[in-house]
Amino acid sequence: MKRLAQRLAGPAGLTRLVCLAAVVTAVGLLPWLSGRDPALTVLRARSAEQEPTREALDAVRRDLGLDAGPLALLTGWAAALAHGDLGTSWVSGTEVLPAVTAGLQVSLGLMGAALGVAVALAATLVAPVLLRGRGSAGGLAAMLAAVPEFLLATVALLVCGVWLGWLPTSGWQGPEHLVLPALALGVPAGGLLGRLVADALPAVLGERWVELWRGAGVSGARIAAAALRRVLPPLVPQFGMAAVGLTGGAVAVETVFAVPGIGRTALGAAKSQDLPLLQGAVLALLLLGLITGAAAALLRRRLLGPALRDAGLTLPRARPARTHPAIPLALFTVLAVTIGWGVLRDPYAVDTTLRLAAPSWAHPLGTDGLGRDVLARLGHGAWATVGTAAAVCLLSLLAGLALGFLPGVAAGAADIANALPPVIVGILVAAAAGPGTGGAALAVGLISWPPLAAHAAALVREVRASAFLTAQRAIGATPWWILTRHVLPSVAAPVARHALLRLPGIALALASLGFLGLGAPPPAPEWGLLLDESRAYVERAPWAALAPAIALALLAALAVTAAAYAQGRRTSRPKEAPIHV
Amino acid sequence: MNEPLLDVRDLVVRHGTVTAVDGVSFTLAAGETLALNGPSGCGKSSTAAAVLQLRRPDAGEVRFEGRELTSLTDRELRPLRPRMQPVFQDPYGSLSPRHRIRDAVAEPLKVQGRWTTAEGPARVAELLDRVGLDPAYGDRRPHELSGGQCQRAGIARALASEPRLLVLDEPVSALDPSVRAGVLNLLADLQDELALGYLFICHDHAVVRHFADRVVELREGRVTSEWRPRSPGAAPR
Amino acid sequence: MSDVLLSVHDLRIAFAGTEVVRGLSFDVRAGETLAVVGESGAGKSLAARALLGMVPPEATTTGTVRPDLSAERGRRIALIPQDALSALSPVHPVGDQLAAAVRSVRRVSRAEARSLAVAALDRVGIPDAARRARAHPHEYSGGMRQRAVIAMATVNEPDVVVADEPTTALDPGRREQVLRVLAERREAAGAALVLVTHDLDVVRRHADRVLVMYAGRAAELGPVTEVLTRPRAPYTAGLLASLPQDGPRLRRLPALPGTPPAPGALPPGCAFAPRCPLAADVCRTAEPELRPLHGRLVACHRAEDVPHPAATLFEESRPA
Repeated sequence: MKRLAQRLAGPAGLTRLVCLAAVVTAVGLLPWLSGRDPALTVLRARSAEQEPTREALDAVRRDLGLDAGPLALLTGWAAALAHGDLGTSWVSGTEVLPAVTAGLQVSLGLMGAALGVAVALAATLVAPVLLRGRGSAGGLAAMLAAVPEFLLATVALLVCGVWLGWLPTSGWQGPEHLVLPALALGVPAGGLLGRLVADALPAVLGERWVELWRGAGVSGARIAAAALRRVLPPLVPQFGMAAVGLTGGAVAVETVFAVPGIGRTALGAAKSQDLPLLQGAVLALLLLGLITGAAAALLRRRLLGPALRDAGLTLPRARPARTHPAIPLALFTVLAVTIGWGVLRDPYAVDTTLRLAAPSWAHPLGTDGLGRDVLARLGHGAWATVGTAAAVCLLSLLAGLALGFLPGVAAGAADIANALPPVIVGILVAAAAGPGTGGAALAVGLISWPPLAAHAAALVREVRASAFLTAQRAIGATPWWILTRHVLPSVAAPVARHALLRLPGIALALASLGFLGLGAPPPAPEWGLLLDESRAYVERAPWAALAPAIALALLAALAVTAAAYAQGRRTSRPKEAPIHV
Repeated sequence: MNEPLLDVRDLVVRHGTVTAVDGVSFTLAAGETLALNGPSGCGKSSTAAAVLQLRRPDAGEVRFEGRELTSLTDRELRPLRPRMQPVFQDPYGSLSPRHRIRDAVAEPLKVQGRWTTAEGPARVAELLDRVGLDPAYGDRRPHELSGGQCQRAGIARALASEPRLLVLDEPVSALDPSVRAGVLNLLADLQDELALGYLFICHDHAVVRHFADRVVELREGRVTSEWRPRSPGAAPR
Repeated sequence: MSDVLLSVHDLRIAFAGTEVVRGLSFDVRAGETLAVVGESGAGKSLAARALLGMVPPEATTTGTVRPDLSAERGRRIALIPQDALSALSPVHPVGDQLAAAVRSVRRVSRAEARSLAVAALDRVGIPDAARRARAHPHEYSGGMRQRAVIAMATVNEPDVVVADEPTTALDPGRREQVLRVLAERREAAGAALVLVTHDLDVVRRHADRVLVMYAGRAAELGPVTEVLTRPRAPYTAGLLASLPQDGPRLRRLPALPGTPPAPGALPPGCAFAPRCPLAADVCRTAEPELRPLHGRLVACHRAEDVPHPAATLFEESRPA
């Protein structure tokens, strides 16, 4: 209890509370924040015949409580919320609460199945590392972790559902409907879990105690089990984050497979401007994330037990598996050439005589449903997606660097940012500002700075603790000299490299928002949007769907192979001889 | 001797609830080596940091060249700092991995406003030569040097501030035996030449006996005894 | 005394084509303490690990270590790694760690393994061993952790214990304590102790024989009484001379000039020649072989010319 109070009182705890309050307030104020008049939408939805006269619209506004101003709106909403009243849907006029609970039930079932898939996959990925005692399956796991759910869902839908016809592709009637969504949702999460463990294990197996155990004759199996026991507790919070990520992934997967879960409910509500339903759904998703985080913290305490709680367990610094640098370079080249070629072509030229044409010299990747050139749209889409990502990346870098110097504040804000999948932030931003490139960029930017801030904070700590910085103070250097000549240069360069390597990941997040219709509106050639549009005619023109899917997969592979270089090499002394191995 | 170079009285350093240094007093004259000896955790390093005012002591006085340091503000202290310089245990960690040796040695001159493009480089080369490093090593970075060479570079950086007192925190503990003697000899030569005061922190009894004029024994943050190794200058075997 | 437990012949260990151990031959005899001395980079830790078959897999090893005890670690041979403070798993109770070692080597019940573990902790002088066995390493003091590591390595009473720098970075009190416990365990079990160290003081007081290594080879190998009182290899002489001595205080220590060579950048001929005051032309062209001389083996072309006391060799090494 005392410890809880201490944690809440610290700067991290305070920021955490402030951020949570801000998010809830933003949800409560959605109808006001959106700034657009929903009265017409609501009127249309309620009765198509009624004339949109001034009196009728005013009546709707009064009815919705939009005329009272933001404060009254917020207090009214909060007071109703305290009584368990989530309000009435503007569109259907029914109670929000039952719709949210029904959606939540479906989503929980889906997430449970996905978690099962994830754990099974993670175990499969980690087993070889444990058996061999060294090496890493991190590369493959990282690949799987980087594939965005919407891409995997689309491909699974194509291959297993449409072409092979093995499994139903939409709806929620029986266990067979569960398979594809659970796979699409569980595989990236499993890849993430597997990667975390597989990256941490080699470092743990290199710890001194393993040498003692081996040298004392302890069997390999016992050492493997002990290493696993050693790795898990510090990773549990990250597992919690992966579980939170499922709530975001659920939005995409439920949308693709038409599963009536909470994610799809939220997305639909955002698109139809049904704000009370959206408020309820987002609140439910947020709650789900927080409960998962709390459960992870509890599990960690259980795993540690009373004796270890104060031991300050940390893992040795993991060395993520690196592929040959030629691989990210080759991926980058292929993408760059495709994009460069496509940019030279016209993405909007419609040729109705050549709809859904197969690839040819005139249209190297074929044409889409309106007869537009797929290659051109891919190229121009990259410009939009990657250009936006670069801007987001730069802003995240600046925020990360600034907050890296305030580790307490950064930790608290990062906690909340980590508990919010980009899709949910995207839904909120889209509901407030309308779907658009700016909103999507804001949503991704809001949650892409925490890893950079964490990295910067760690470097600042490391540099500040070093003897050479102490020596600077001893020669009489001013704090400004130390900051500008030593601390900033040591921190900025590695964090900037880290940010650059996160660029593909940010582009993927933007594409996933585009796919859900939360980014640039049609006919803009945005990658996620391209994939979404092509789903309609996937049977007749598979190449039109495959081209953006492959481009996104290449981007994911680039993200992961490049990110392994983010940690950078330590520039300290080389080992004079590798004797103390 | 009229006034000691360093006069420490009733020094107290607390880390949270733990009292690391609990009322330590000693004096040190110019040209003298005073060793602080004791097991790990006895408060040697905390005493050193408090003497250098890198970690402000919680109580007590540190009088250096006649001035009381603990009551000074950071700003007032800054011009006095160059007169007392630390040499650290980890030869690599005490130099910035990003900077060339030449720049590390030049930095005190620049910080203290004594750098001129005409004379600065020559002064750096002279300092490197003085500690037994070929000035050509100035172009290298710390990880391109051996431990002993790095430690010599660290000493050159300390000398660049023209100090009167060196606080040597386990300066040879991380070095190989064959290299250690060379660094100790260098320190002895510098002391003879510049009449430096050495506050020498070390847990190796044999080294302390060889190197120190006086030894203060610390246990759990308190002085337990003070003794002199056999007097110097006796005939070699 | 001359009962050979382990025999190493022409051992060579290379990383990516760079030999770090370059043709090493020596025996480990029952009941003796063999010290392996050298500076960082001399290859001593690696040579010690080769005795247990614990050379990193990325290294290429040639030569023989007979018999091969790598499948009988724990029972016949055990390792005490460097840095005992971090050598226990932080997440397992100490008693469980020892019991894991017992159950990996012997077919005993869980309860028996447990009581053997407690007995082993008790033998190294851990008070209230039964209760402490349930505690985690972070609940132990530094000294207790070191003793627990020794208990774990000796719980199955191996014939050979290899201790890799067990006392580096310890203050003198702790160092003596650890060495005393090690000596007790060795005597009680009649085992051999291979003690890797760079501290000649420790060698003088605790070892029977000493192997002095320089740049991956043996410089001198023989009884401590012979080698340390009258060294015949200039490197050994230089190491001894540079130790601060009891007796009249010297303002300057005799010092070896220069630094040990990196494994990839050895000079031609004798690796020590560039630092050696006795180096002649032959030393710069031909690498000396190990040969018997005055009751020890020495690898030096000019071993007969090393004066006594050897410290006089290095006294005039003052830099200009």
